[in-house]
Amino acid sequence: MDWQDFLSVLPFIIVAGWATILLLVDLWIPANRKGITAGLAVLGLIAAIAAVISRFGIEREAFDGMIIVDGFSSFLQLLFLGVGVIAIAQAYDYLRRRDIERGEYYILLLYSLSGMLLMASAGDLIVVFLAVELLSIPLYVLAAFAIPKADSEESALKYFLLGAFASGFLVYGIALVFGSTGTTALSGMVAAIESAETTPILLLVGSGMILVGLGFKVAAVPFHMWTPDVYQGAPTSVTSFMAVGAKAGGFAALLRIFISALPGAAVMWMPLTMWIAALTMAWGNIAAISQTNIKRMLAYSSIAHAGYIFMALPAAATPEVAPEAVRAALFYLVTYAITNLGAWGVVLAMEKAEGSGLEIEDYSGLGKKRPALALAMALFMLSLTGIPPTVGFMGKFYLFQVVIDANLIWLALVGVVTSLISAYYYLRVIVVMYMRDGEPEVRSEALLNSTIFITAFGTFFFGILPGFLLKMINQVSLLDLFR
Amino acid sequence: MVLLEVVQGGGLFAYAPLIIALPILGLITNIIFGRRLGERFAGIVASGVVALAFVIAILQFLALQAHPEGVTIPIAEWISVGSLSVSWAIKVDTLSTTMMLMVTGVSTLIHIYAIGYMHEDVRFQGDPGRYTRFFIFFNLFVAAMMVLVSADNYLMMFVGWEGVGLCSYLLIGFWYEKGEDGIGNAVAGKKAFITNRIGDFGFLIAMFLIFGAVGSLGFEEVFDWAHAFGEENVLIISVITLFMLLGVAGKSAQLPLFVWLPDAMAGPTPVSALIHAATMVTAGVYLIVRSNPLFSVTASTSNIVAIVGTATAFFAATIAVGQFDIKKVLAYSTISQLGFMVAAAGLGAYVAAIFHLINHAFFKALLFLASGSVIQGIEAGHHHAEHEGADIEEPFDPQDMRNMGGLRSRMKVTFWVYLIGALALSGFPPLAGFFSKDEILVDARLENPALFFLLLAAAFLTTFYMGRQVFLVFFGKARSEPAAHAKENPPVMWVPLVILGVLSVVSGALNLPKIHTLTDWLGTTIEHVHITEFSFSVAGLAVVFSIVAVVLAWMIYGRKPIEKGEADPLRKILGPIFVGMENKWWVDELYDFLFIRPYVAICWFLADVVDWRILHDWFHDSVLASAYRNGSQWLAQVFDLGIIDGIGNGLGNITKGASQRLRFVETGYVRNYALAILVGGLLTLTYFIFG
Amino acid sequence: MTIDLVLFFGLALIAVVAAIAMIASRNAVYSALFLVFNFLTVATLYLLLNAAFIAVVQVTVYAGAIMVLFLFVIMLLGTERESIGGRIRWQMPLSIVLGLALAGELAYVLLRNDIVQGPLADLTVEFGSPASIGRVLFNEYLVPFEVTSILLLVAMIGAIVITRKQREEGK
Repeated sequence: MDWQDFLSVLPFIIVAGWATILLLVDLWIPANRKGITAGLAVLGLIAAIAAVISRFGIEREAFDGMIIVDGFSSFLQLLFLGVGVIAIAQAYDYLRRRDIERGEYYILLLYSLSGMLLMASAGDLIVVFLAVELLSIPLYVLAAFAIPKADSEESALKYFLLGAFASGFLVYGIALVFGSTGTTALSGMVAAIESAETTPILLLVGSGMILVGLGFKVAAVPFHMWTPDVYQGAPTSVTSFMAVGAKAGGFAALLRIFISALPGAAVMWMPLTMWIAALTMAWGNIAAISQTNIKRMLAYSSIAHAGYIFMALPAAATPEVAPEAVRAALFYLVTYAITNLGAWGVVLAMEKAEGSGLEIEDYSGLGKKRPALALAMALFMLSLTGIPPTVGFMGKFYLFQVVIDANLIWLALVGVVTSLISAYYYLRVIVVMYMRDGEPEVRSEALLNSTIFITAFGTFFFGILPGFLLKMINQVSLLDLFR
Repeated sequence: MVLLEVVQGGGLFAYAPLIIALPILGLITNIIFGRRLGERFAGIVASGVVALAFVIAILQFLALQAHPEGVTIPIAEWISVGSLSVSWAIKVDTLSTTMMLMVTGVSTLIHIYAIGYMHEDVRFQGDPGRYTRFFIFFNLFVAAMMVLVSADNYLMMFVGWEGVGLCSYLLIGFWYEKGEDGIGNAVAGKKAFITNRIGDFGFLIAMFLIFGAVGSLGFEEVFDWAHAFGEENVLIISVITLFMLLGVAGKSAQLPLFVWLPDAMAGPTPVSALIHAATMVTAGVYLIVRSNPLFSVTASTSNIVAIVGTATAFFAATIAVGQFDIKKVLAYSTISQLGFMVAAAGLGAYVAAIFHLINHAFFKALLFLASGSVIQGIEAGHHHAEHEGADIEEPFDPQDMRNMGGLRSRMKVTFWVYLIGALALSGFPPLAGFFSKDEILVDARLENPALFFLLLAAAFLTTFYMGRQVFLVFFGKARSEPAAHAKENPPVMWVPLVILGVLSVVSGALNLPKIHTLTDWLGTTIEHVHITEFSFSVAGLAVVFSIVAVVLAWMIYGRKPIEKGEADPLRKILGPIFVGMENKWWVDELYDFLFIRPYVAICWFLADVVDWRILHDWFHDSVLASAYRNGSQWLAQVFDLGIIDGIGNGLGNITKGASQRLRFVETGYVRNYALAILVGGLLTLTYFIFG
Repeated sequence: MTIDLVLFFGLALIAVVAAIAMIASRNAVYSALFLVFNFLTVATLYLLLNAAFIAVVQVTVYAGAIMVLFLFVIMLLGTERESIGGRIRWQMPLSIVLGLALAGELAYVLLRNDIVQGPLADLTVEFGSPASIGRVLFNEYLVPFEVTSILLLVAMIGAIVITRKQREEGK
């Protein structure tokens, strides 16, 4: 343990430490000036971004393998921090509007982010578990932030109870893995599989339970049922952050554990993850069609997208494809984050103070009333469908290509067909916006507008020039744990 | 001294990306601030950035003096999929820099002119709000054009190609609510766009074929391939170049796709001058010259190119003779001159093509701008006359040459520059057109005498219709009240005209016989250059033809100027031929009959019968939509809510009162969700243990 | 069968029964007390494993501090006999079946003799002493330890955030 070890977790230390300091600073900030807290929180995130960038490209293990620093973790940490900045910008006006503005919002958000940062560089199952909890507990509280509004309360309670249930699976799975290998380090798992003649069954069962626990976090079928209720009930700014951050965090752990620590058991988990991916894509997309509430619709859409990203796992079971699969998943995560943050931003702009304005019908006439906003929303919907020239197309293209490279033609086919199905409900939003007459009430708040603009620009820009992003991702690789 | 070192060291090349970035900066500035800060600001910003781009082009020119081989400056990796790898890089060599200089130089002048012209235009048309928009589009055009000429691969070139096409469309329809039936201009824009799509289709196919054959779209790779394997691949190269020719025909308005250009004159005059005369339409010629390693391999395509160009040159010239709209005459003249350039490229005289391209840019921009000046002078006279209560026939067409006459004394500067432009276009020595046209004619005579005579005839007609135009517009007496009240425009408009006039006089010096500056300069980039020796017999013949044409024009239109309401004397002389010329040989009607009507009929059939009645009403509504809806409802409601929650709900409703229902459903939800997780977990474990 | 094994099975049985009783009991106070009982048996199991320190912590922290707090809350709120909503008739048997199936599967895995056992660590005299635990905690497991402290802080903040608002509304 030396100073370099501490440097390796510097982004985490900055974010978690800054949150703790802000907790105290916030006491002296008057209740009507909580924008200062938000601004300070963003400053902390920027410092963390600088810390991540400064060590980009470095690969090392710290704290005896508890922490792994590699391209994978750095890239994801950048993504998380970027998501955090946008989430804070989106929340500021929304909280004022709903009269729930309190400094703790930003502090809890920072804590949750610190959990995600830790998740990205976790090299030990204990750290994975703690990161999951550190990521989730602030989210439970944030979901309840509009208390005593019944829907917010309900959403938080559901999320909390089911989250605890899933955590039970996760922690028991970790215990079984420990029982089987005598270590919780990911590298230890690799060694155990290497040395055994057949894959120890205890390890398999343990990893199965880990799959359940993390599958809950990313909302994969059949562990998805909480998603629509929780997304709908939580304050929309929380939903936006939750839908993007928590999901990406879950995938960070899934990819790390299954692809870099359990490649030896790939034969076993490949068919399972394949079925989960296919089911998730189908269920999410089909169930989304009959939704009339935009938050529920986007919730089912987020389930569907979890299915798409999940495809990277079975694809990665083919060793030659694994590095590309990880990259495709990361690219898709970026795609998903940009587009979804934007779409939720539009939902935020449409939501009225008392929480109405969330039906898809309420978007009638948006094309005339606010052409720019409607255009942005149309862009996000196209991107979620995966139509060029948006980044969503690039993401799907890359991912499907990887899946086909892994010889899982039928899985790619399921992906394509479900994407087609998804066009039905995504395009419906566009149709409603442009072809129905209506007088929607829309907010125009500078910060919110700028987040929508930035994400819309990103959706479009990376859809045409993905080169920059691809170049960055091409440098990403999971640290080889075999060494 | 420091400057010299920088020039020698090639450090100036590093500024090349600015040539694209500056116009974009300008348009973004205008998007954000243009409306707020007013006309003057918008115009100066737009002109300023283009002028700066021109300075950058000059810097490139200086740098090339020391490093004539040029450089390629990578900007970004654009697409990298499989074996297709396209980067966005800027190619600075003598050919692209020549185009950059010409485009930014002419653009700067036209931008400045437009500051004055558009001020009046938006005032007359009654929508000053569009002033900024005009300059935004104009800057966008310059940026796209720079992308086109600086591309180092076909795909990037295509991006610029489409970009200028888009700007052309936007600017033709600038007054989209005006024109015939209130949609005339919009229709003209659409026509231009669709016709160009046909050409673009050719370009795209050519690109696919290139990628299929070579595996790359970069100029260098493709040309290296053509050098190495050109001989055994003549067939595929012929096909590629033929499809390219289709693209050229679209963009450079050659037979059979030239029909959009005359209609494109619906745009404001600076647009006609910049996009539809000087720069964009020459992109096709640039494409051929750039691809010369491909074209020079295949003699058959080159022949076809030469024939298409010559035919266009002659055909368009005949139509120009029969037009009355001052801008239409110039439009057909542009088509005709483009024909000359394409013919030159087809004959292998690439330098002559570029030479003529530059000269033409100067004098045709000059002519268009001067005609704009005339039109605006007439419109000002129109207002003035109305003010005085003069009796004017409505509707009054300020572009109809029959309404003009006698403007020589009222608009002196315009008259003189117009005369210079007309003489340069007609090829009178020692003006610009003389040298370049002569070079093309000499090459034609050496290669193909038939084409030579046709081109000579076209040149004769050129002089004749320009003479006709000058006599009709500037000589005689005013044939309408507005023309009688016309007045000269402000200096912001005529100063650029004078500069262009000077350029039209001297630009022939770029490639004087015996000195061949341009030939040497382009020789470092274009592989197949040959020095064309000056031929007195050809030059003499051409000059004699021109003089005869002028005399003829004078006899018909100058000696006894036509009176108000009098028919064109040529109508009596030529009879049905003139009717044909006047009606553009019914090409539009022919296309309408051959393509548009059958196409529209098929569209109607597909839309009404196949799509609407069969697909939409029956298949979509009854089959697809209901299946979708039922399936999704089943999963979401019957299964999610129904089977799993529904059982709970149903039983709950029986056992509990309505007041407790909500709370009950709530707890029921969580339990059921947890149950789903449990089932999922159990299945997972079962699979791992027994699977 | 050694005395260790006999003790283990006896204690394990008690622990399981206490756990089931805790869930099955309809009185919240009883439930809490069964949980205390369960904790105590588990603590004894730790003793059997030679982990005295953890056993003591288990008793003081869980059975002592936390459960006393639980009982306080239950009694203060007066919810000790509140019925838990309604039961869904099909759910109970289904969950029992599924739970048993899960337990059965795990038992099957654990009792199969081909499971690979990790290498057992050599026990030193120091094993399980506060000093050795402290050393491990602050060296090898420093990161998890610190993260846990943050986690607890966050949980605390969360609880305060949720309840404070309600109090304000109550005013």
